[in-house]
Amino acid sequence: MTTASTLTDRYVAEAVRSLTRGQRKDIEAELRASIADAIEDRLEAGTDAAAAERDVLAELGPPRSLAASYSDKPSHLIGPDLFRDYVRVLTVLLSTAVPLWFVFSGVVTFVAGASPLDSLGSALWGSFETAMSLAFIVTLVFAIIERTPALRGRRATKWDLHSLPAVPDQRGYVSELVGGVLFLVVIASVVIVLQSVGAVEGPNGTLIGPLDAPLWESGVFWVALFYSAVSISFHVFAHYTGWSVANAVATIVLDVLFVVPAVWIVAGDRLLNPDYFAAIGWPDGVQIVGLIALAVVVLFPLLDTVDAIIRTVRTRRVHRSPSEAA
Amino acid sequence: MLKDEELATHRQELRRGTVVLACLMLLEKSNYGYALLTALDSSGFAVDANTLYPLLRRLEKQGLVHSEWNTDESRPRKFYATSPEGRRLAATLRGDWDELAAAFTALTALTEEP
Repeated sequence: MTTASTLTDRYVAEAVRSLTRGQRKDIEAELRASIADAIEDRLEAGTDAAAAERDVLAELGPPRSLAASYSDKPSHLIGPDLFRDYVRVLTVLLSTAVPLWFVFSGVVTFVAGASPLDSLGSALWGSFETAMSLAFIVTLVFAIIERTPALRGRRATKWDLHSLPAVPDQRGYVSELVGGVLFLVVIASVVIVLQSVGAVEGPNGTLIGPLDAPLWESGVFWVALFYSAVSISFHVFAHYTGWSVANAVATIVLDVLFVVPAVWIVAGDRLLNPDYFAAIGWPDGVQIVGLIALAVVVLFPLLDTVDAIIRTVRTRRVHRSPSEAA
Repeated sequence: MLKDEELATHRQELRRGTVVLACLMLLEKSNYGYALLTALDSSGFAVDANTLYPLLRRLEKQGLVHSEWNTDESRPRKFYATSPEGRRLAATLRGDWDELAAAFTALTALTEEP
């Protein structure tokens, strides 16, 4: 009899283990009573005690499946409602970011003097790391949405014919692409020119530019450039497919990816070289330019996020209103 | 030829909602888990214990049944009974079932016409 009662104990313990504290006690008591009732029934029918208990527990099936049925929590990471959006965001980000990163890091390593084989190796490894981090962040964001009823409700819109994306406007697409690339080239050129041609003699005789030397040499600006390229391709994609919640989520992910390290660098006084500003006779410049840079790295992604949300909302409103009027 | 597994899935799909209706009807008279399981079984509604027990919790959460622990006997048991809201749902589902049955009868008559 001792062994028999142990089996039930083990089964019940395993079944209620993953339940919340609030549910556990009540479900455990009920489950024990139900198992005891079922065993009793079999004993009356003439089965021996050990066999009766084994049969009853076996019939209840895997305790973890039973726990999953009791639980309110989803037994999946990303459910069918979100899965297609998830795959789409992941596909877009991976298919743009990883090849770009591969080319960028390969070229950069090669130009920096590495052998072709080493460059290839570093490009491959870098691409792998990029893919892993993107996949992780996108999965995390979608898993959070899956577990936040407020967010899920907001995205669960009714599909109708008007929500079909418009045939892409080629002129808009091209001008957006060109505008983004031009802006990037101008910013990158200004930074490179200031740092190289505009370098002045520092306190210990070496040439210094306005940007912090270790930061400049760390290659973080290549990452920023790469990020911008991804961001531009993504905006083109979003324009192409029509703004949806999936696109808005991806935009926010990209913006957060940028803001966190950017603010860390700028607000932590890691961006500018105070010696440079002292050397050109504008010692306060390091604070002023730093503030401007901080405003830019915070405001740009913020505006981008707001813009993405507004576009998404507007797209929906435009798509909905004809059906409401009808 | 349909595989056994596929056949089982189709039948399960068809029966899915009927267990809820049968529960709500049987629980007009309050009862506890295992007794309800055997009552369902003997009324022709085969259902697994691991389906029924969590289902009762969900029905309770939706306010379709009420529950109460009965400690009068040596073994305390949780008794469930259909709530007024559960009764209304049962009436609706019962109506749907009758409509479906009538529709199937009509369909059978239609397809069997020469």
